Amino acid sequence: MTPLNLVVNGQAASAVVAPSTLLIDFLRSNRGLTGTHAGCDTAQCGACTVLVNGQAVKSCSMLAVQAQGCQVTTVEGLAQGDRLHPLQQAFMACHGLQCGFCTPGMLMTSACLLAKTPQPSDEQIAEALEGNLCRCTGYVNIVASVRQAAQQMAGGQS
Amino acid sequence: MSAGVQAQRYGSGQAVRRIEDPALVQGQGQYTDDVSHPGQTHLVFLRSPYAHAVIKQVDTASAQAMDGVVAIYTGADLVAAGVKAMPGAAAFPRPDGKPGASAPRRALAHQRVRFVGEAVAAVVAETREQAQAAAEAIWVDYNELPAVVSALEAIKPGAPQLMPDQAPDNIAAAMRHGHAEAVAAAFAAAAHTVQVEVANQRLAANPIEPRAVNAHIDPADGRLVVRLSSQMPTAVRGGLADAIPGLSAQNVRVLVGDVGGGFGMKTGIYPEDIAIGFAAWQLKRPVKWRADRLEEFLASTHGRDVTSRAELALDAQGRALALRVRGTANVGAYATATGVAIQCLIGPWVSTSIYDIPVVDLQYTAVVTNTAPTGAYRGAGRPEAIYLIERLMDAAARKLQIDPAQLRRVNMIRPNQMPYKNPMGQTYDSGAFERMLDQGLALADWAGFDARRAQSQAQGKLRGRGIATFLEWTGGNALEEKVTVEVTADGYIELGSATQAMGQGIATSYAQLAVDVFGVPIERIRVLQGDTDRANGFGSAGSRSLFTGGSAVSVASQNTVDEARDLAASALEAPARDLEYRDGRFEVAGTDLGIGLFELAARQPQARIRVEGSAKAGGPSWPNGCHICEVEIDPVTGAVQVVAYASVNDIGRVVSPVIVQGQVEGGAVQGIGQALCERVAYDRETGQLQSASFMDYAMPHADGFLGFKTRFDTSVPCQTNPLGVKGVGELGTIGATPAVVNAVIDALAHAGLGADAQAIQMPVTSERVWRALNLRQMDPSPFAG
Repeated sequence: MTPLNLVVNGQAASAVVAPSTLLIDFLRSNRGLTGTHAGCDTAQCGACTVLVNGQAVKSCSMLAVQAQGCQVTTVEGLAQGDRLHPLQQAFMACHGLQCGFCTPGMLMTSACLLAKTPQPSDEQIAEALEGNLCRCTGYVNIVASVRQAAQQMAGGQS
Repeated sequence: MSAGVQAQRYGSGQAVRRIEDPALVQGQGQYTDDVSHPGQTHLVFLRSPYAHAVIKQVDTASAQAMDGVVAIYTGADLVAAGVKAMPGAAAFPRPDGKPGASAPRRALAHQRVRFVGEAVAAVVAETREQAQAAAEAIWVDYNELPAVVSALEAIKPGAPQLMPDQAPDNIAAAMRHGHAEAVAAAFAAAAHTVQVEVANQRLAANPIEPRAVNAHIDPADGRLVVRLSSQMPTAVRGGLADAIPGLSAQNVRVLVGDVGGGFGMKTGIYPEDIAIGFAAWQLKRPVKWRADRLEEFLASTHGRDVTSRAELALDAQGRALALRVRGTANVGAYATATGVAIQCLIGPWVSTSIYDIPVVDLQYTAVVTNTAPTGAYRGAGRPEAIYLIERLMDAAARKLQIDPAQLRRVNMIRPNQMPYKNPMGQTYDSGAFERMLDQGLALADWAGFDARRAQSQAQGKLRGRGIATFLEWTGGNALEEKVTVEVTADGYIELGSATQAMGQGIATSYAQLAVDVFGVPIERIRVLQGDTDRANGFGSAGSRSLFTGGSAVSVASQNTVDEARDLAASALEAPARDLEYRDGRFEVAGTDLGIGLFELAARQPQARIRVEGSAKAGGPSWPNGCHICEVEIDPVTGAVQVVAYASVNDIGRVVSPVIVQGQVEGGAVQGIGQALCERVAYDRETGQLQSASFMDYAMPHADGFLGFKTRFDTSVPCQTNPLGVKGVGELGTIGATPAVVNAVIDALAHAGLGADAQAIQMPVTSERVWRALNLRQMDPSPFAG
């Protein structure tokens, strides 16, 4: 067992975990953050994507102890208090989700994209989401959602 | 009926935001795996590494002794405990007239395994990791048998036999429809005949949420509570009660929270559900299983997998005279009623689609093989049938040198023929197919294609255009629904229904229908599903929910207002006929006397008003449309890119414009997936599953295609339900596959392959296209070899 200290959604978290514990299992079981979803276990579907020090990471393929001392953000930490993140608002406004299972991963990957590339083209959005699978929407509205969020974060229509 | 401000903003026909979404975008959904109970145990299945083998011995002794292990079950244990096998396909006939055949499908395989991934043992442990470790320590002695994974191979003499006693020919069931002699005569006299040979490949539904089940005993009443990801909670309850000794519908409760996609794959009960229910019932502890993606590929039902020869006879003017189909369906290792019905019955119902074809001769054979059982997958029989007729229409147009849109036009059933009974005896209530065609041609700029083809050619690309005009059958033959309405004292209207949300947004659509009647803000409406203690019924499948359950929502809501009117009359001491209802309030006409609906509920003895209502549709709904696709092919790589996709859809009246567009476009991407990239592949010799991860099973990604033009023509309401709506969930998937493949064939034919291009098979991968273009190497007939 290994002591683990990190920051999850802005709050310090400490636990003792088995070294083999995956980050996703730590988040879901230890922290009760069930918004991070396991869809494939093999780092292809992206439903488990979280931010580790601002970088989008598939938490099914990272050990919890590798996040030692890191800032981890999950979908539950995306909103600022009661104010939803522009991506969350845009996914609702653009019908960017249906069953919602892939949505947390889509949001976190997109959040990483917009932090680095505030005004992405549709092609850049689609490329950034290459590692996130959605079976419901056909992706059209997901790309539209990210585009709208980018515009909103830039302070209006671009 | 209120037509107040709320109905104008949030009622049917308005583009509202989904009521499901605020929770889901914040990670507050409650999918099955998100729920745990005190004392939770975890179950892991040990699965067969062989496609076909006799189980000689299972030794669990060393696994039993491992840390954290609570219990281990084998197939023999479950048989000894009296757990029954699941129903097969006895309702359908075999060619020899006997009932449909299937080997007994058990919660855990007993004595013999028949496909790779079939569950052989179940380990319950304190943690998932402990259960996994123990499962690996179970020793199973198998005697491997020869395996067969193709239906055409399985019916050859000398093929490995999956059920040697019952059906040595491996035929589960077979059905013939129509008039063979009349069709033979029509073919003999026809000016033209065309034929296609098509392998409609096996697909995996792949909702992103893997299946999950969590069963526990309710400490309050001792009943078994099974929470799972399912489209049919009541059917699961029935299946558990049938299989597990000591259980009945009375002492099983099935709960369904958020469902991360269904697509038909989560209909009915799975063997795993029974094993988990049994374990929890025995152990009196909560038992949870969450499939990993490998298990989903191995053991969830697959879709499609039918190989067909289809022929169309036409007169000199291009009018279709007769349709003949010979189909061989691979229903996997265990034939189920669903798997057989989809190919042998439901597909044939739409085989003539929107065309006035007088006679048919359809023969379908359902064959067992050493592969995962097949079941419903988005469209379930209709995509296969529509693909055949739409490929035949293009083949005929090519042969007769008629514009493919024009050939379809001359064959379409006219509105004045409605209601129209097709050769399978199915009655279409409504449809204006030529109207959809005309709008589709305009939306896609059909006439301007040559210029776009020239543009593509200038850039070194081959451009093709494909069309599908079609209809589909919806309703699952379960046309009645009941809805309970409860008006609560704390200001909510709760709609209880046995239909089941699976991501399609049905709660929002129901809420909009309730707003139409109640005139309250949409936030006041709650939709309660997924609890067999609350409501029982067929569940959600076959695009049935809105036209059956939605109709019941409307009826039950109106019943509620009517009943509340009497309650308001006594509360206000005024005659009921003098009361006006508007926007959540009864008022005595011409006075300022009134009472709010929720206040009225608070004054009732139970502090609520509870009313039921039901509706029964007079038949299936027949959504239809015209889908037109354009593709560009890079001749250097063979890569196919969908570059334009226009569709005009008749789904009757539209309740939720945003949702139906999402259904058609998301569905179309699944159909594009079948056309271009998806395929479940088994090794022919060993029966090993080769496409067992998202690395190996190609699905559309975000960079696939981003520009749909989707329109709805609402001028042709359905005549057989009070809302006038038609099911929308599967329409896009059904139209997209033939539209895309017809476009690819058009491009290849234009590039010099001519009618030879019609031999190409799905998925139309870049390799297949490259071979066709550069080596003139076409796929062999699926009947060859």
